[in-house]
Amino acid sequence: MTSPDDSLDTIHALTGEGYKYGFVTDIESDSLPPGLDESTVRFISAKKQEPEWLLEWRLQAFRHWLTMENPDWAKLKVAPIDYQASSYYSAPKEGPKSLDEVDPELLKTYEKLGIPLGERAALAGIAVDAVFDSVSVATTFKSKLNEMGIIFCSFGEAVREHPELVRKYLGSVVPQGDNFFSALNSAVFSDGSFAYIPPGIRCPMELSTYFRINAAKSGQFERTLLICDKGSYVSYLEGCTAPMRDENQLHAAVVELIALEDAEIKYSTVQNWYPGDAQGKGGIYNFVTKRGACRGDRAKISWTQVETGSAITWKYPSCLLEGDGSVGAFYSVAITNNMQQADTGTKMIHLGKNTTSTIISKGISAGRGQNTYRGLVRMQPKAQNARNFTQCDSLLIGDRCGAHTVPYIEVRNPSARCEHEATTSKISDDQMFYCQQRGLSKEDALSLIVNGFCKEVLKELPMEFAVEAQKLLAVSLEGSVG
Amino acid sequence: MTAKPETAPYRAAFTAHPADALADQRKSAFARFETLGFPTRREEAWRFTNLRPLQQAYLPGTATASKPDIAAYAFDGESYRLVFVNGRFAPDLSHTGALPKGVRLDNTAKLLPGHQDLAQSLLDDTDTAGGQGFAALNAALFADGYVLVLEDGVTLDHPVEIVHWGDAPDQSFHLRNLIKLGTGSRATILETYIGEGRYWTNAVTLVDVAAAASLRHVKLQDEATTAIHFGQVRGTLDRAARYDGFVLTLGSELSRHDSFIRYAGENAECGLFGAYLLRGAQEATNMTVVDHATPHCTTHEVFKGVVDERAHGVFLGKITVREDAQKTNANQLNKNLLLSARATVDTKPELEIFADDVKCSHGATVGDLDEDAMFYLEARGISPDEARRMLIEAFAADAIDRLEGEPALRAHLAAHVQRWLNVARVPS
Repeated sequence: MTSPDDSLDTIHALTGEGYKYGFVTDIESDSLPPGLDESTVRFISAKKQEPEWLLEWRLQAFRHWLTMENPDWAKLKVAPIDYQASSYYSAPKEGPKSLDEVDPELLKTYEKLGIPLGERAALAGIAVDAVFDSVSVATTFKSKLNEMGIIFCSFGEAVREHPELVRKYLGSVVPQGDNFFSALNSAVFSDGSFAYIPPGIRCPMELSTYFRINAAKSGQFERTLLICDKGSYVSYLEGCTAPMRDENQLHAAVVELIALEDAEIKYSTVQNWYPGDAQGKGGIYNFVTKRGACRGDRAKISWTQVETGSAITWKYPSCLLEGDGSVGAFYSVAITNNMQQADTGTKMIHLGKNTTSTIISKGISAGRGQNTYRGLVRMQPKAQNARNFTQCDSLLIGDRCGAHTVPYIEVRNPSARCEHEATTSKISDDQMFYCQQRGLSKEDALSLIVNGFCKEVLKELPMEFAVEAQKLLAVSLEGSVG
Repeated sequence: MTAKPETAPYRAAFTAHPADALADQRKSAFARFETLGFPTRREEAWRFTNLRPLQQAYLPGTATASKPDIAAYAFDGESYRLVFVNGRFAPDLSHTGALPKGVRLDNTAKLLPGHQDLAQSLLDDTDTAGGQGFAALNAALFADGYVLVLEDGVTLDHPVEIVHWGDAPDQSFHLRNLIKLGTGSRATILETYIGEGRYWTNAVTLVDVAAAASLRHVKLQDEATTAIHFGQVRGTLDRAARYDGFVLTLGSELSRHDSFIRYAGENAECGLFGAYLLRGAQEATNMTVVDHATPHCTTHEVFKGVVDERAHGVFLGKITVREDAQKTNANQLNKNLLLSARATVDTKPELEIFADDVKCSHGATVGDLDEDAMFYLEARGISPDEARRMLIEAFAADAIDRLEGEPALRAHLAAHVQRWLNVARVPS
């Protein structure tokens, strides 16, 4: 019979494993000195050769940001952030024009991460718009996508090549002043990804970007804009790993999704930024605003996330269900270990008739991690026959972690139906005993149970990603996953 | 610290309040109220509450002519009854008869002058230094209330019945109650709040349940629909103690019932149940805050809401399980029926868990009457109105039935639910 202490020891032994992806690439950066004022915003805009309207847009956001306060409502302990101390722009020195010109150091980094680029990308069938720090260095499969009329490029390129699309949709889902971090991002965002799927097109491959934070002291402010025109479909993957660093780094990204009539967007994230060491030193602050709007009837947006990294995660991928019959979904696995903190969840705002949403959230706390699910389901008066189902389960491993659930349900329509259920439990001794009695080692038993616990979410991930997600679960919690 | 502007009208009332044994504490409580002011929607516990009805100042007044009409609310069985009218004890309407040995049942005002020790336990740090403005105001201004003290091992044979009637226009009644149960003792309390016209009832009840003691605390709130009602219960449960709270909310334009329960010993158990049936422009909030500070304790919560017309029902539940509170068992359930296009429900069942060996769950649902159930009944020749009525009655009964071992009380509450259902519905 396994005593709780034994299994704890196992977990400690397993989780003591160092951060696998901690390495620093040595590339000279063309960085801006630390500091943030209007001239920083102007510098970034000029450096990126942006049109006047975008500069104005940034400045508007910046001025609004100055009037805002750091939010403190989340169940997070955040050391005060000195926004003047970090640098807001860093780019690899030479802008490479093709894959061959890409700095070999950089390619090696990706190799270590196992990102399929070039040949490997073709084999994996993935177009990678790899973002290294702030500037896109390589975009593959462009021509193939071009043939179908699909635009998939860096944000900077989109501003130059497709200003009408960018101008029409930028900030239409997450307005500049939406919250403190989105305002900051709107002012100083460096680059990011842009995708547009024309009407009736089903994107033949999973679009994918990897975000990396590399240069020291440079917070990364990504901006992603994804537009699915009528009747189109795209599956988008986003994955992150970051090198080991002792200083807290801020990541405040904004992701906007727009799905028009009958369009479907599937957005999957695996987040594995450096969580800090076992004492809670270092680690990434991941303060992200993600929101999708189902603008047309029968549009569909689903968010799937596996959050294993970051010292602090503050993230609420949300859906605005505007079109009649539109569908929103949120599938999440969040793991906090050691001193990690996560306050994550979703908002489902039902505006149109017959809208439905599903929320499945699995929180796992270990060590001294604090894991909070914070979600809102709102049925507006016009959301006739809207439906929501929410399930959020928490699993506690160890007696010094915390799992919290803060659901808000606000119903303004009698025909709408909301259901919420949640449970909190630990891995029982019986479960462990049952597995071990059948010859599984402690770590195998643990991984089996944890994987089973997360199964409902993991099965929503695209196949290529599901493999990586399981690897990350392994790094975060277990020795090996079968 | 400067006083918040909305507290200004209450300053004169406080100054006029006669000094008593608690003068010092009352002074700091009022200072606390002035600092805090009224809560705003920026405060998490008040974000769904519309305090507009309180824009007008309701000041405590002197006794006014009153014609209490409490017959319809009297408990059928035997009871020890204390009646309060406009915030003051009304001896001629009350009858306590001969209390068993070891039981003290009095009104607060009578107790204050002579019993320093008990008087001191009427107030605590929450009043003088806490974060709740209305509790602090209550502490500063309360004139009366009831005190029930049971010595060790005493079982009260009949329920204590507290009836509060309010009809003094534009006045506020601040009631301070104390329930202290000695080791192994048992008691049942039925509080009834009723009245006529516009007034504000602000009651705070401190509950102390000693080891292995058991308290059933039932409240029927059917205040005038133009009135405001705030009720707060702050309870501490010692080892193997049991507290069952039930609140039936039918009345008031704006009402809240906030229960704060803290476990101070192992193996204690607490049930917080309630039903709220709202119509017109009523707004009612039920808030529960349960602090599992000790291991091996169990909490059950079931709240059922029926919200019609333009009414607004709110449930705010919070269960905290502290680091060492292993083997905690807690569940929270809030179900709502939303019967009209303009009715709204906000619910927030929250769990905060810092221990791993616990079983906690919560659930919440909001929806209309089940179409299949309606069809089933109608197909058997029952009229839609009657079918609807049956379903609502059964829905509310689910919460009332949690009051185990009190058939007379359950029948009493069910009768008032039926009375609510008999009121003709305004078509939306």
